[in-house]
Amino acid sequence: MEIERSSSNDRKYSNNEITVYWKPDACVHASYCYRELIEVFDPGRRPWVDMNAASTIRIIETVDMCPTEALTWKWNDDEKNKAVGAEHTNHVKFRRPELMENDQAVFPEHPVIVKIMKDGPIIIKGDFTFISGGTEKEMFDSLISICRCGESDHKPFCDGRHRKTGFSG
Amino acid sequence: MDEKKDPKTKTEVEITDSGPLRISGNFILKDLQRDRESVPGEVFLCRCGKSSDKPFCDGSHRNK
Repeated sequence: MEIERSSSNDRKYSNNEITVYWKPDACVHASYCYRELIEVFDPGRRPWVDMNAASTIRIIETVDMCPTEALTWKWNDDEKNKAVGAEHTNHVKFRRPELMENDQAVFPEHPVIVKIMKDGPIIIKGDFTFISGGTEKEMFDSLISICRCGESDHKPFCDGRHRKTGFSG
Repeated sequence: MDEKKDPKTKTEVEITDSGPLRISGNFILKDLQRDRESVPGEVFLCRCGKSSDKPFCDGSHRNK
């Protein structure tokens, strides 16, 4: 397995078919990755990504579940990336059909999506007015993650602490 | 027109002072923990971790 350092805290991890890109600053601790595939994505391990612990297709499926740009992937063979139209970006992820078809059936006008994550934060996505500390801010196509365990050092936002304290609920 | 489907309904996300998260307006609540989905119009979600009625607030944050 190849591990290369790039700018800031970003990392990339490769197997012989794909490279997974990790941007920790973009992570909102939605926790899809390690709940889906702890063998590969284990936050308690260093390095936390083990590209040899599951098949490429399982890794791709899991990275595609990440709601942010924190986890993305590309084929190592650039010709294959062109073939699929470089679709591994955040924008495509947000339009995952299993999410959008349901929502659009209810609301054609793009409702805000509020997700209670398993033993994790509240993820809020869409256009909304954010009111905090007496101020209002208009948010457009935003994604925020609100602490639900009460232990975050960055309240009201999640900082991933729920995993260390064993929050359940 | 069903009021809940009014696209003009503004969605508000409010961090109440030392209290729950209030969300109102046009939103879908997806509770992945309990595998439930609803369109409640307004909710107060627990932020302290102590509620007995998660994900909703039950006022437990006021207790020491």
